[in-house]
Amino acid sequence: MAEVESSTAAFEEDDHRVAYIFNAGQSPSQSQLQVVQTAATAATARPAKRRKVAKTTTIDAPKQQQAVVSGPAFPPLFNGAERPDAVQLRQDLFATAWPVLEARVQHVLRDANRTTLDEVAAFLQQAAAAETGKLTAGFIITGPNIASQDLLFEQLAERLGTADQATFVRLRASEAPNLKATWLKMIRDAMAKEGGEDGRKYLDYDLEALRVFLAQQQQRPPRVVVAFQDSEALDSGLLTDLMTLFHSWHDRIRFDVLFGIATSVELFQARLLKSTARQLYGAQFDVVQADSVLERVIKSAVAGTQAALRIGPSLLRSLVERQRDQVAGIQVFVSSLKYAYMCHFYANPLSVLLAGDGRLDSGLVQPEHFEAVRTLDSFKAQAEAAVEARQLNHAQSLIEDDQYLVGLILEQEQKRREYQTQLLRSLHILAAAGLSPSSFVELYMVALASGIDLSQASGTVPAEDAVRRLNPDEFLSLIDRVLKAIHAGSPELGLDAWESDADEFVAALADTRDEVEGLMARAKRNRTSLKSRYSAQSRVLRTTVVSQKVQLSRDTATLTAEDTAFTAAVDTLTALLAQNLHCDPVGRLFLHEAWVYDAKSPYRDVFVPRPAATVARALSRPHDYLACACCSQAAGGGLAATLPPTAILYQLYREAGALVNVADLWSAYYALVGGDDDESDVGLGERAALVCFYRALAELRLMGFVKQSKRKADHVAKLKWL
Amino acid sequence: MPRRKLTAEAPVPRVSRKRGLVADPYEVPDEIEAPKRRRQLEPTDPEETEDPADEVPSVVEETPKRRQSRPPKPAVAGTQSSQVTTPSALRQRPLAKTPVKNGIDTPSRRNIADRSARKKSARALIDRVIGGAISDDEVEEGGIAREIYESSEDEDEDERGAQDEDQEPTTPSKTPGRKRKVQARKRSPTPPRDLPPHEQYFYQNKPGLSKTSNNSLSSLDLLTHDEYFSVLRQLEDPHSSDIHFLESLHAQSFPQWAFELSQGFTTCLYGYGSKRRLLHNFATYLSSQSPTHTIVIINGYVRTLTARDILATLSAAASPTAASSNPPATTPTINATTTLPTLLTTLTTPLTLLISSIDAPPLRKPALQTLLTHLAAHPLIHLACTTSTPTFPLLWDAGQRAALNLVFHDCTTFAAPTLAEADVIDEVHELLGRKARRVGGKEGVAFVLRSLPENAQSLFRLLVGEVLVAGMDRDGEGPPRDEGHGEVAVEYRMVYNKAVEEFICSSEMAFRTLLKEFHDHQIITSHKDSIGTELLSLPFRIDELESILEELSV
Repeated sequence: MAEVESSTAAFEEDDHRVAYIFNAGQSPSQSQLQVVQTAATAATARPAKRRKVAKTTTIDAPKQQQAVVSGPAFPPLFNGAERPDAVQLRQDLFATAWPVLEARVQHVLRDANRTTLDEVAAFLQQAAAAETGKLTAGFIITGPNIASQDLLFEQLAERLGTADQATFVRLRASEAPNLKATWLKMIRDAMAKEGGEDGRKYLDYDLEALRVFLAQQQQRPPRVVVAFQDSEALDSGLLTDLMTLFHSWHDRIRFDVLFGIATSVELFQARLLKSTARQLYGAQFDVVQADSVLERVIKSAVAGTQAALRIGPSLLRSLVERQRDQVAGIQVFVSSLKYAYMCHFYANPLSVLLAGDGRLDSGLVQPEHFEAVRTLDSFKAQAEAAVEARQLNHAQSLIEDDQYLVGLILEQEQKRREYQTQLLRSLHILAAAGLSPSSFVELYMVALASGIDLSQASGTVPAEDAVRRLNPDEFLSLIDRVLKAIHAGSPELGLDAWESDADEFVAALADTRDEVEGLMARAKRNRTSLKSRYSAQSRVLRTTVVSQKVQLSRDTATLTAEDTAFTAAVDTLTALLAQNLHCDPVGRLFLHEAWVYDAKSPYRDVFVPRPAATVARALSRPHDYLACACCSQAAGGGLAATLPPTAILYQLYREAGALVNVADLWSAYYALVGGDDDESDVGLGERAALVCFYRALAELRLMGFVKQSKRKADHVAKLKWL
Repeated sequence: MPRRKLTAEAPVPRVSRKRGLVADPYEVPDEIEAPKRRRQLEPTDPEETEDPADEVPSVVEETPKRRQSRPPKPAVAGTQSSQVTTPSALRQRPLAKTPVKNGIDTPSRRNIADRSARKKSARALIDRVIGGAISDDEVEEGGIAREIYESSEDEDEDERGAQDEDQEPTTPSKTPGRKRKVQARKRSPTPPRDLPPHEQYFYQNKPGLSKTSNNSLSSLDLLTHDEYFSVLRQLEDPHSSDIHFLESLHAQSFPQWAFELSQGFTTCLYGYGSKRRLLHNFATYLSSQSPTHTIVIINGYVRTLTARDILATLSAAASPTAASSNPPATTPTINATTTLPTLLTTLTTPLTLLISSIDAPPLRKPALQTLLTHLAAHPLIHLACTTSTPTFPLLWDAGQRAALNLVFHDCTTFAAPTLAEADVIDEVHELLGRKARRVGGKEGVAFVLRSLPENAQSLFRLLVGEVLVAGMDRDGEGPPRDEGHGEVAVEYRMVYNKAVEEFICSSEMAFRTLLKEFHDHQIITSHKDSIGTELLSLPFRIDELESILEELSV
């Protein structure tokens, strides 16, 4: 085969080595490098490769210095026509945008565990003081996701290690298969800070060694906190032994144990012996639920003002759904978020438009940018809208005048900020006022996807009824909540108080409040209750019996003057809210593509792969990948002699039953690919076909499709149904 | 309204059945049944069967009642009168009378349960109709009741239909179809197409379905290593240019992968085809981008891979000074628990770890995956890996996956596995149960023998000589091939005697011990022939044996 021969000798040698340090200089794989270098242009030219390589490396040289600092450089887009400073700007933007968010997310995550930490620490201290003579045990209900426990235990180690001067040891079930290994690991971890004590030699798994070590550390009394992260996975016999031993050492070393529990304490206790359970003095702690942590993370890192990039509604929805459906940890969410940022700045040349603060000047924008902008959907929508509005000049300059476009582009930064502020303020008020039953995350997604509109009939967030149905007390408290929200802002979202910006709104609200307060006072004097036209009591169902027939009639209760005034106030408030809590869907904004990332496909491919389907597709329709001329007639699936042998075998394999006769498989294969012996140019000879057959069968086996079957001679068993 | 339709149609087959019953002159009326039938004749409205569609409301109301009085005789009875008046094509079908069993056979437990459920649901339906007012949850309950009720009706319908069809051909012979149970559905010779994978699994694993022919590969001359490679060298892959193109497409993603690595993700390449070459090119690309980075490549498919190898290489990479002095040999006992922490603390420069076939058998051990996870979690270590099976996601649990921070890329290469990745001949032969893995060729034999004592070597020389002589004898006689491999065997007894003669060993015990050594290295095979004589043979070809003998004699 040509491929085998062309591959260099050193490469093959490396193939058989278990592990080695890659050295590009030593292995004569210049041709490989050349493949890489020319890959972008897909050139197959072989000559002059040395020179080419040399040239590219010298060009890269200055870049390498910087690559060490901030990772590899972004490749220029627009088919390589993007200017280096624009590329650099994109990279810088990413480098500044993400760490801010990451820090915020970390802060939120750490903050979420704080109460648990406090409780655990307090309990341990209280237990130490209580002198129960039992083993202190904290049961931390961490929930099913073991991935998110790591942070918690890390924080526990920090907290207890510094505050309580205790030695903290974390154990996973995989690290503790038996008693001896557990001691070994524990003692080693506990003594990791300082090694090399002299004097008596102890065995590695002798707790006495630990005691002596801790005594040297002047811990009075020596104290060790042992945390079992995934206690469900521990062998229950081992657990019992450990508890008994801990207890018996209690007079020399004070052991406290912490259990991370995914299910419930009851189930855990059921695994312990009664005598063991009696040795424990325990308390249960709950960790903040994953849902609320997720909401907080989204509030601060996705919705908050500090998020440079808006995650689009459909992507966000699929991320949130994945969290719920697949019980993926919050870490997965954060990585997905990061990946979205990476994708945007790496692959979208328009992401440079995100740069504010004068870093984006007209000099940086190059003709390709204009071209790219003019292909955007939002640009088309804008131009069409301009035409429809008979602003033909505007439309024409949009399409033709680059300088005009630059002006618009530079304006966008301001508009983006305005939009963002308006969106977040509206959402904050909505959430604070409790006008909508859905959660903040849900509201946010709705607002991005279809805007905020409070009207009952057609709105995305129908809240008018909720306002109308309020009784006067609730009405006042609603206004108070809204005012408070404006007054306080939201540190979580990064919103400052905006009373000064919205003085009209605030004043109108205050007026309404005063008016309703006055009305209430008046109604109280009149000993009537204040009600509005909308409240449910205003309509009365009247029943009259006329000559043994029941007549139903609806009657509108008469409204007093106060009631009418209150109704007017309710109307005013509804109008005010509808007017102020309003925003467009993000997709309707001009140039939103530069700062909204809403592509689902790379996310789905990259984080939720479907390897089985991919392999099945490659094997059943190789044409999809190879795009070769010879296999095109088999493009829709089906057999053809030109298909790769493994693909043919796979098709035959799929048709076969659970047990496959290799002899029949071979004859079927040979009947397909083999030629008559006379005409050697059509089809393969028997031996050559056999070689292909062997290789294909070996590949199927390596991929785990078949295994040896002892039931019949020359049979293999099917293992996969893709 | 499906229910109405059902009730309207229900009587029809019964009518015909009854007719069949009457028309059959040989039919002996069932003593238990006949009176019953007559008794139930009265309550049913004969008109109902005459034109059921007209009587919609009454039918709807009737249904539950009729149901309650199971066995379903009323309709049968009702038809008797209407038999003459309404001759419909359907009813004319001469069908047998099996359904009788419907009524009197001792009902199975399931039937009883079904029936009582049906009764209950019918009662519930009636109650609801009478009661009138329906609240929300009642609607739901009613729905369930209706469902139970209707499903049973469907079943009946199906059952009846099936029976009718079954009996149709047998009717002329007048064999009483009564004894027959519902026949198993006929299996069609062509498998159903386009089943989803799980259905396919159950279909193909049905007991009794796995019928395969008794053909075997005995007539085929299986390939040997030498032949395989010599043919392979001449073979040209018609797709090689396409494969190269595919590879170059993947190569365009190198900068992206490098970026992902630098951001702390673990890049995982999956898809069909060997990715060994792609990974190698990626390594080349990485080192061309930043020559200061150390790149360590681990070949997961090498069967001898251990945690020790990984750690030794990594520590050599982490401290280049030690690397110069032949790292793996000089490092003292390497242990994951002791080496790893020191390794991670001494690491100062970024290190990229490329693993090919992270899902290969040697790397599937949980301990190794834990080790890799630990490594990947370190901020200075970047990990990229390739996989070769479609089930690789099962390698990691949620915790490991979060620590690895994986991103996946479809890298279907279609490239044939390299020689190191797959020992094709051995794989296939193992699959066929033909031959176990053995030392490769004559070099392997020489290597094995060098480590064995003197007399073992002489014994092997003797054995080779005997086999060659026997082979020559056999060639003279013509080829009575045994085993289909053309392998020549010599008698155990004879070899033993010769070995004693040549003072290679003094007892059979010692002889056995020597042979066992050969067996362990799979350079000898033994089997018994039809009369029970033990035979020894060597799994090599004649020319190989000759060269081995030459080497041994020197």
